Amino acid sequence: MKVTIVMRGTLRKVYGYDEQVVEVPEGSTCAQALEAIGVHYKEEPKFGFVSVNNMRCMIDDELHDGDYLKAFSKVFGG
Amino acid sequence: MKRLKFKKEKCIGCQLCAQLCSAFKEGEYVPSKARIAIETTYDNGNLKYHDHFCIICGMCAKACPVDAITVTDHIEVDFDKCIGCGACAEKCPKKVVKIRDEKAYICDTCGGDPKCVQMCPQNALTFE
Amino acid sequence: MTQTMLGYQNKVLRIDLTKKGCSFEPLRMDFARKYVGSKGLAIRYMYEELEPGIDPLGPDNKLFLTTGPFTGTPVPCSGKLSIAAKSPATGTMNDCSVGGHVGVRVKYAGYDMIIFEGQLDKPGYVLIDNDKIRFMDAEHLWGKGSHEAEKILADQYGPEYSILSIGPAGENLNIMSCINCDYYRQAGRGGIGAVMGSKNMKAIVIRGTGGVKVNDIEGTTKRLFEILRNDVVNDDNQFIFDDGTTAFLEACNDGGILPVNNFSDTTDEKWTEYNGEVLNSYRQGKRGCGSCGLGCGNFLKIGNAICEGPEYETIAVAGPNAGNRDPEKIVKFNEVCDNMGLDTISCGDTITWAMEMTESGRHDFGIKFGEADKMIEYVEKIAKLEGVGADLALGTKKASEKFGGEDIAMQVKGLEYPQYEPRGSWGMALSYAVSDRGACHMRAYAPNEEVFAASIPPYTPEGKGQMVYNLGEFNAIKFSLCICDFWGTIDYAIMSELLTRVTGVEWTEQDMADVGRRVLNIGRAFNQREGFNRAHDTVPKKIVRDALQNGPAAGQVIPPEAFEDMLNQYYEIMGWNQDGTMPDELVKSLL
Repeated sequence: MKVTIVMRGTLRKVYGYDEQVVEVPEGSTCAQALEAIGVHYKEEPKFGFVSVNNMRCMIDDELHDGDYLKAFSKVFGG
Repeated sequence: MKRLKFKKEKCIGCQLCAQLCSAFKEGEYVPSKARIAIETTYDNGNLKYHDHFCIICGMCAKACPVDAITVTDHIEVDFDKCIGCGACAEKCPKKVVKIRDEKAYICDTCGGDPKCVQMCPQNALTFE
Repeated sequence: MTQTMLGYQNKVLRIDLTKKGCSFEPLRMDFARKYVGSKGLAIRYMYEELEPGIDPLGPDNKLFLTTGPFTGTPVPCSGKLSIAAKSPATGTMNDCSVGGHVGVRVKYAGYDMIIFEGQLDKPGYVLIDNDKIRFMDAEHLWGKGSHEAEKILADQYGPEYSILSIGPAGENLNIMSCINCDYYRQAGRGGIGAVMGSKNMKAIVIRGTGGVKVNDIEGTTKRLFEILRNDVVNDDNQFIFDDGTTAFLEACNDGGILPVNNFSDTTDEKWTEYNGEVLNSYRQGKRGCGSCGLGCGNFLKIGNAICEGPEYETIAVAGPNAGNRDPEKIVKFNEVCDNMGLDTISCGDTITWAMEMTESGRHDFGIKFGEADKMIEYVEKIAKLEGVGADLALGTKKASEKFGGEDIAMQVKGLEYPQYEPRGSWGMALSYAVSDRGACHMRAYAPNEEVFAASIPPYTPEGKGQMVYNLGEFNAIKFSLCICDFWGTIDYAIMSELLTRVTGVEWTEQDMADVGRRVLNIGRAFNQREGFNRAHDTVPKKIVRDALQNGPAAGQVIPPEAFEDMLNQYYEIMGWNQDGTMPDELVKSLL
């Protein structure tokens, strides 16, 4: 299935792109899709949270064909 | 010859340039005595840039009645000769010369490595 | 004898508005050794000088303008100013933080602090030119918008002077009024503008041409070059220059904490109609405060609306929280609030409360969600106490006590909720409840952990006491050093190193934590003396009764027992009694 992976914040600079469409196996989770394209989120200190189709979700949630997966860097604010 | 250059779209009006200049020239952070003065203000619904910095044009030297100012790749004021008449300040197109205690204070580029440039956070000021 | 520290001017200017006189006194260096500067120092002075029970709008309240040891130095992001007083909105202590260049000018004028006491007998402004203080007539300025007044004064005195001013809202003693600086920066919350208005003070105009001495200026400055490049202007913080606080909008929307329709729900599918990409396409320039490294201010013009901003808070409150998606109307709301001298958060929340009251049939305030033009008109009515504005000027707490709708009044202690939905970030409910000045996000900013870093599950009370304490302690010392919020990556190691370098006195990382804790406690001690306890550390009924319908937090509601659990945790960590009061020996240890 095809999903679009979007980098937000400093992750754009870390990984060198804003968004790309990738082919992943059916039933892949957010974690698996990210790992498949080299985003080792567990080791990346700037990694924050993920959303799918503009809704925050858990890293182990399952993706579906056509999903829009955003990876946000940590932001500090108030 | 290198000169200070200013890109206003990168300037955030922080005035760190003036703090740095005064730190190394005056021994305290006192922008009123700095040899650079860049700030931004709002006026009539517009953001205005007041960029007073030395461009090594040499107008100060031409104006000086006692030949106290020399221009090479930077400006130097001979305090033994300077009488603080203010002719240099009047002619300076960037309005950055300061007369204080009967002497003219003009940027000398910190020996070719301007401190203001080092501290400009968004690189609005460069030396090129 | 307390050791003298460099970085300070060791001087306080005390201005008696009643007698039109002034005096100079040394800074209480013993206070500075325990509370450092800005926020902490201001609260300590307030605790010392403001008798419990005084009328916040009476002559016994004082305005404390407080800098820190870094102010006026090239420590990045250190140029703001604390403005503090007892709050007429809440009755608690209130410390605000205003940007622009006034902070460094107070310091260059030679002062760590300026205290305004008493009241002028008629409208005036105070002119401070270094050590020369004059009391000027302001009849020609009274009644004018803050922007109009600032322009008149700026034309008269020139750009070397900074101007703090109030608008009609502060003149009318509105408890949501703010103090403006550089047109578009505010000491925003808790009715600080009304304190200035109660003193008949339209403006403070100040110039400072002196300097600040620090320890080993060359060594300190060379170290600051490194810190600027490595620790401030880096990828993690640079989004503040690139986007400003519009950057928070997408993360808050996706994260399930962007409020919609007076906190009735979260997550707006139309967020791209007013997001940073849209707003910043109208940007004319960037601006920061004195000594800033990042320049958060976006100066923009869209249609006939103009402002430096809008910040996330204003975008959210005048946008989805008001049922509005028109970016021009958001900017216009911002502009009118600034000119009238009203806090966008409190004024916005009060209008959105009025919208829900009208739509639900509880009371007809004549405005519904989405009526953005009316929202903008209502700002002026509130500032000038005209028609329905006179009712809404009470703020959500007092207005809901009068008209009903207390359950949907989004406030704590009389200060309205910033734009982070607590059902999407449970720790925020605790943070709002225990903040020293009513519901404030600039104390313990829970979304940093619960949403953006995803370091702790958001929909549980577990661990939230410790989380809120850690975040609160960090901000308490950070703001007592007068370091701006947006230097997000600063840590105790950098803080203690810089404080040691600047002052010439050793400060450790543990000292930073100790000062942070002390500042949290002195604020609580002030409030306790005013009669505050657990009963006032509240959460709006909506948050514990109604489940969210949309977004990632759909179905979430904070059970009352979970809220009480979080309070219990926090009180235990702070060493307070379970009724929210402080043991006597703890209070004594602060003095």
